[in-house]
Amino acid sequence: MNDIWIIITASLVAANAAILGSFLIMRRMAMVGDAISHAVLPGIVIAYFLTNSRASFPMLMGAAASGMIVTTFIQFFNKKVKLQNDASIGISYTFLFAVGIILISFFGSNVDLDQECVLYGEIAYVPIDTLFIGELNIGPRQFWILLTTLIIIVSAVIMAYRKLVLTTFDEAFASAIGINVVFWQYYLMAGVSLTTVVSFESVGAVLVIAFIAGPPATAYLLTHSFKRMIYLSILIGIVCSIIGYYTAVWLNGSIAGAISSVIGLVFAIVFAVDLFKRRQVSRQVTQTSN
Amino acid sequence: MMTGNSVETHNLTVIYNKKPAIWNIDFTLPAGKIIGVMGPNGSGKSTLLKAIMGIIEPNIGYAKIFDKDLDDVRERVSYVPQRQSVDWDFPASVWDVVAMGRYARKGMLKRLSAEDKSIIEESLEKVNMTAFAQRQISQLSGGQQQRVFLARALAQQADIYFMDEPFVGVDAATEEAIINLLKSMRDQGKTLIVVHHDLHTAQDYFEWMVLLNTRLVRVGPVEDVFNQETLTETYGGTLTTLSKVASLLQEKSFPMRHK
Ligand SMILES: Nc1ncnc2c1ncn2[C@@H]1O[C@H](COP(=O)(O)OP(=O)(O)OP(=O)(O)O)[C@@H](O)[C@H]1O
Ligand SMILES: [Mg+2]
Repeated sequence: MNDIWIIITASLVAANAAILGSFLIMRRMAMVGDAISHAVLPGIVIAYFLTNSRASFPMLMGAAASGMIVTTFIQFFNKKVKLQNDASIGISYTFLFAVGIILISFFGSNVDLDQECVLYGEIAYVPIDTLFIGELNIGPRQFWILLTTLIIIVSAVIMAYRKLVLTTFDEAFASAIGINVVFWQYYLMAGVSLTTVVSFESVGAVLVIAFIAGPPATAYLLTHSFKRMIYLSILIGIVCSIIGYYTAVWLNGSIAGAISSVIGLVFAIVFAVDLFKRRQVSRQVTQTSN
Repeated sequence: MMTGNSVETHNLTVIYNKKPAIWNIDFTLPAGKIIGVMGPNGSGKSTLLKAIMGIIEPNIGYAKIFDKDLDDVRERVSYVPQRQSVDWDFPASVWDVVAMGRYARKGMLKRLSAEDKSIIEESLEKVNMTAFAQRQISQLSGGQQQRVFLARALAQQADIYFMDEPFVGVDAATEEAIINLLKSMRDQGKTLIVVHHDLHTAQDYFEWMVLLNTRLVRVGPVEDVFNQETLTETYGGTLTTLSKVASLLQEKSFPMRHK
């Protein structure tokens, strides 16, 4: 039963990340997940000092708040200071991460708080932390949190699908027909913040980032339709979770590490095949034109 | 026939990093005409269009379209951006992009109706891209991409069209097809505001003209504003431009020799 719960948890994270990651990579913002994973530190520290506990809800709120702050910073540097996307992302998150570190050292190094406790959740422990209704065990807490998140993300994306696609593909046209481009950017980033922060706790930051960037990049090579790209990246994420999990069991290694590696490997294979096919096509073209 | 004003700007000013891109632009344009916007690179043509459509917030001034605030006439306004402004590797088909033109009218949730679909097909037909409907947009030539953008604008069924350099990178035949299309739209009462670079064709294409060089140099009917003096003022007094303009005007005054 534990296997199933772990795979389901990873798949839920994969689905969330695939949906949002597809938009992010087309906006050249795939590293936003990485940025948020570091930028949540000050929020977590402040939440800890305000509540003086390591309860996960206040920390989650703190993390989500700093997620939105880093998004605002990125937007500001990008739109107002006119920096490139990647530069904006880099400046914003390193700044917030530094603020987090300063806060920790300022409040004293004796605090029982480190980044790992929130950032590097361990997927292997997911089945242990279960929820009960009365006497009834209804399964892991993370499962319910992630399922709720998935429902929120899916409905939010369905409702705003055309606006999100239009603002991703052609900002100026979207704006000309009266769509508030900045609002929908924040809307998307709010989703990314929620997903990353919620998923950190269950699977750890590295795996979330791998899920955001890897499967959508792989799917992009395989299809010419954006909708299909989303479906395909969800599927790839789930398949990688299954293969990765059993690889970890087989090698007796880290589950998150194995899944991340499989994601990377699958991308590499698809990329190589794609490259090979292109070569073939261009060779045929040159042959027929000769 | 559409009469009255199409666009009206008042002291329109956009400043980037303390440098004005357009400065104190004040004009009124008629409706139902093909109007050229001309000026050298960096003279603020794209910026002017974007400021009129509210894509960028002007630092000073405002614009009205059909004597109304922009938000009251949004669904009558269409825009053809500079082709290079989007990522053509986005996973979408020609049809997908043209369908975006319908979203403006339909709202963002409703399914496309049979009528929408026939409008999309018609729009593709008009730019001669029907055969490419299912083609992935990354596999189009520059001229084909330009025609997809035009089809998207047509699908909007707007009353005023702002087009940023629709003739860049298209061959002569396509250019002629596009200008004929624009003329037939004008004949249906549409207003077309077109950023253009080629001085040779300007007099044939446009009825009105906006000459721009950060400031407004001249605005008015082509026969009044297109002359050596105003073009020198717009493009600066470099020898090559000047002689080009001179020969252009000569060609114009002796059309028989040319034909
Ligand atoms: N996003 C921006 N940030 C900063 N400066 C800008 C921006 N967009 C345009 N500019 C500047 O404003 C001025 C006008 O630019 P604009 O793109 O409107 O010119 P243009 O007439 O359309 O030029 P082109 O013929 O090359 O298309 C230029 O000096 C340009 O460098
Ligand atoms: Mg321009």
